[in-house]
Amino acid sequence: MREPTYFILASLLDGPLHGYAIIQRAEHLSDGRVRLATGTLYTALDRLTAEGYVELVREEIVNGRVRRSYGLTPPGAGALRAEAERMAASLVTGRGQSPKTVRSARKLSPA
Amino acid sequence: MSALQRHCGWLLRAYPAWYRRDRAGEMLGTLLEASPPGARWPSFGEARALVIGALRVRGRTWLLSMLWVVIGAGGAIYATVTITHIGYGEGFRWMFQWPEEPQVIIDVAVIAEVAWLLLSVPLLVAGFVRLRGWRRRNWLRVAGWAGSWVAGLALMSQAAERAAAGEGGTRGVLSVGEMAICAAWLVLGGAMTWILSSPQTQADSSSASKVAIR
Repeated sequence: MREPTYFILASLLDGPLHGYAIIQRAEHLSDGRVRLATGTLYTALDRLTAEGYVELVREEIVNGRVRRSYGLTPPGAGALRAEAERMAASLVTGRGQSPKTVRSARKLSPA
Repeated sequence: MSALQRHCGWLLRAYPAWYRRDRAGEMLGTLLEASPPGARWPSFGEARALVIGALRVRGRTWLLSMLWVVIGAGGAIYATVTITHIGYGEGFRWMFQWPEEPQVIIDVAVIAEVAWLLLSVPLLVAGFVRLRGWRRRNWLRVAGWAGSWVAGLALMSQAAERAAAGEGGTRGVLSVGEMAICAAWLVLGGAMTWILSSPQTQADSSSASKVAIR
């Protein structure tokens, strides 16, 4: 799983969010490292929706434009947990991930 | 409408129409929220991500098809200029060249021509595959496209034939009618490009909105 994908899924852990809120939350969770561009976000959301990891939860009109909120599906939560555990394990072996990513992973990992 | 909104709208036009119908409003909202207050243009990173995202949505076949049209158009201009203004050099039967043409231009032209010919086959197949899943009447369009493709190839070879006949520095003859048909051929290639950028399945065209709202 690539880092932006990971943080998009992680940002939805506390409940559904709309586009810009996902960008903000992902930035916060990654300690400011992952600043998603809008184009990147929606490409990822399209893919994650198609894979069944994310679903459309709510649609509302804000300032005359549609605003959609996306939520994590059970398979999405499972994939996120598996990835967090994998990253936490890679900290134990000391390979593969940057310390910041692992710190974020530990925040999210149940272990 | 603010300048930022207008400029973001321009960039969003990189996405195909079917995608924009579903997503443009939502993406514009996010872009405006993500841009710092007072900004007139989206940041370079945002612009780049939008273009890359648009290319992903349009797909590889679309990109190759565009390449085919661009190379074809460039080749047509090159051939026209060479035939009508410069005349032909000796040699290559299938390539228009002028006397003492720099080697680098010859090399680029040969590579482009080979790439163009090689690209046309998978694109033709891709077009067939894509249209087939659509509606029955599209078979007519497929037949039209394939027919014009064969006709265009025949015309090009005829033009090359005449070029070879006019060897020795004389100017060749290429009628306006032939050039018009070549142009129509390229326009059809462009139309095919448009078809190739349409969603592969009906479900794709509204993937987000089709998902059940909880």
